[in-house]
Amino acid sequence: MAEEIRIVQPKEYYKRFLEKDVRPDNRELAEFRPVVLNIGCVTTAEGSALIKIGNTTVICGVKAELAKPDADQPKDGFIVPNVELPPLCSSNFRPGPPGEQAQVLSQTMADVIADSQCLLSESLCICPGKLVWVLHIDLVCLDYDGNVMDACMVALVSALRNTVLPKVTVDEETGDIQTDPTTRVPLQVTCCPVATTFIVFDNKLLLVDPTREEESMATGAVTIVTEGDNLCSIYKPGGTPLTENQIDNCIERAFTHGREVCRLIEDTLLSVDR
Amino acid sequence: MAAFTVVKKEDLEAQQKEESVQSLRCITSELGPLTQPDGSAVFTQGDTTALAAVYGPADVKISKELIDRATVEVIYKPKVGLPRPVDRKLERIIKNTLEAAIMALNHPRSLISIVIQETESLGANLACCVNAACMALLDAAVSMNFMVAAVSAAVTDKGEIILDPVSRVEDEARAVLTFVFDSVDKNIVTVITSGQFSQDEYKKCLYLTKQACDNVFSFYKDSLSKKLLKSA
Amino acid sequence: MANHIGTVVLPGDVLKDIKPPDGSKKLLLGPGLVEDGDVIKVCKPGILRYRDPGVYWLDCHQKRYVACKGDQVLGIVTQKNVDMFRVDIGCSELASLSYLSFEGATKRNRPDVKVGDVIYAKVLVANKDMEPELVCIDSYGRSSGMGVIRGGGFLIHTSLNLARKLLNPQCVLMKALGNRFKFEIAVGMNGRIWLNTQNDVQTIAIANAIFAAEYMDNDQITSMCKKLSRVMSGME
Repeated sequence: MAEEIRIVQPKEYYKRFLEKDVRPDNRELAEFRPVVLNIGCVTTAEGSALIKIGNTTVICGVKAELAKPDADQPKDGFIVPNVELPPLCSSNFRPGPPGEQAQVLSQTMADVIADSQCLLSESLCICPGKLVWVLHIDLVCLDYDGNVMDACMVALVSALRNTVLPKVTVDEETGDIQTDPTTRVPLQVTCCPVATTFIVFDNKLLLVDPTREEESMATGAVTIVTEGDNLCSIYKPGGTPLTENQIDNCIERAFTHGREVCRLIEDTLLSVDR
Repeated sequence: MAAFTVVKKEDLEAQQKEESVQSLRCITSELGPLTQPDGSAVFTQGDTTALAAVYGPADVKISKELIDRATVEVIYKPKVGLPRPVDRKLERIIKNTLEAAIMALNHPRSLISIVIQETESLGANLACCVNAACMALLDAAVSMNFMVAAVSAAVTDKGEIILDPVSRVEDEARAVLTFVFDSVDKNIVTVITSGQFSQDEYKKCLYLTKQACDNVFSFYKDSLSKKLLKSA
Repeated sequence: MANHIGTVVLPGDVLKDIKPPDGSKKLLLGPGLVEDGDVIKVCKPGILRYRDPGVYWLDCHQKRYVACKGDQVLGIVTQKNVDMFRVDIGCSELASLSYLSFEGATKRNRPDVKVGDVIYAKVLVANKDMEPELVCIDSYGRSSGMGVIRGGGFLIHTSLNLARKLLNPQCVLMKALGNRFKFEIAVGMNGRIWLNTQNDVQTIAIANAIFAAEYMDNDQITSMCKKLSRVMSGME
């Protein structure tokens, strides 16, 4: 019986649960789903990570290649994050060029890297004006069960922390490029931005870490990206208007969650031997 | 024919004072500059200008049709070139913001299409686009739950906060925050930020922008009163 | 209450002091006003108007027509189906018009309507969830002026506000024009106006006079019409 109500009247179904301060998957309103993080799982990539938040799965690989920098910014390397939402992960997506959501997610990833300055594009410089690194950060969602933004962010940061590049030198006179595969240099990732997403249910309740079902019923969403004690981004694109207090409350919870996720990434990195 | 311009005297005076960093730049607008759309507006904030046009409630393609509410569509045209992913994100933000404001349930199976043409982006472009779109919706008399007003603030390296920054200040700033408020309870509809900032700075920006949004709302009222009372 | 009437109200404004008149419990809300729980909310920008007993509405400027029951509108036939016509009346979807809702029409005796014809009709059904339905007969089965408009003429599009202004009995434009020129006119609530005059010059002159009248008061309209007839007599 319960399953039928869930399909026919999803909102009513949720309301019944939420009245008792519990969600249908047995979580409290402010409870996160369990997170499983696997760093360095793709051996062919320079750096990689796989994250599972509940059922949501995102895999991230970093590939590096060499390129000539832009003439107007001779010292800047390129960081190209790209989020893919293939038809594999959910029936919402069709094959073909990236949809609007994928484009917005990719742009958000690029914005967070720029805002948090966790990886400076200058640090990818090998020889100013001649040679820089291009980092292709590919994020592929394998299972879409809500909150892909947070998952992508953790995968991205973990993969970047995991990335090692071979040492490359440029001969000043001849311009020859020499690669030394034996010496490997890790990327200079200075900080660890963490995203926390909340959705607004029925114009009043705030739920953290939404599933896909919850996202589809949401009347609004807030994503807060924290880095240590600073805020990198508050992203609330429309939806139900929230009061200052509600947003302050979200920020407090995002800080706590941010510290926990950072610790998880650190711990996992320690257990990975490169 | 239906076009006119409102320049608020206070804003002009405020702009003439060199050191008035804590007020909005001069706002002007023109309602109904285009004859074909159902509503249109040019909104200028200092030197930043955007042109918005609204069509709707109009015919909707079957693929986009929603049976219980109106489909809201926002198309953002940058000044040069084709729309990039950055513009897609902007479109998404504006769309979600306006969706909250529009009474979509009143016009099921129809399309409310908003086209925004960037004409001059010299600081606080997102805020200007949101305000232009809101004025165009008011000009088209689309049913709305509330009006929205967007205000930007920049945090400089020294931690100073500058309201409604020009592009030079935006480029040098450590962070830029854009807030959109509703007209009823002055709650926060949208927050978009770039750059790093502390919680304290966020609160200061919120306080300042919230005060400044009243100016935008009273500006809406002034311009619409002029338009509506003209033929009365 | 009295201080709100005649002023400009904007979406989101709450009208707390609107109450039913004494001795009655009825309150009629017109376009632009919605009931939200205990309070009356404004959802469009406009001027608040009141008429006894307890009728409130907003005068708003709009170009897009939203079908409303009882409105007389001008439409263009765009499709012919087996048992109905589809008519473009300017709202979000095409309105339907049955073959049988014409004066004297029966299953055998079909009305002579072609795609592209201009039709003057009344909105019978207007519901946000359904397509609007038109009829060309009144409740007695008479055409009462409605039906296909024949004999040429010119169709112009105006704002809804202007169409309402022309239909307002207090507006002098029609009288002032009628005193000086010989023409036929049909004004639809959907902002479409059909005009038929003796020659093209007059059609253009009258159409321009109508457009110009949007932001004029009665005195200005009268003087404009005077000027117009003087200019026109010079041209002929």
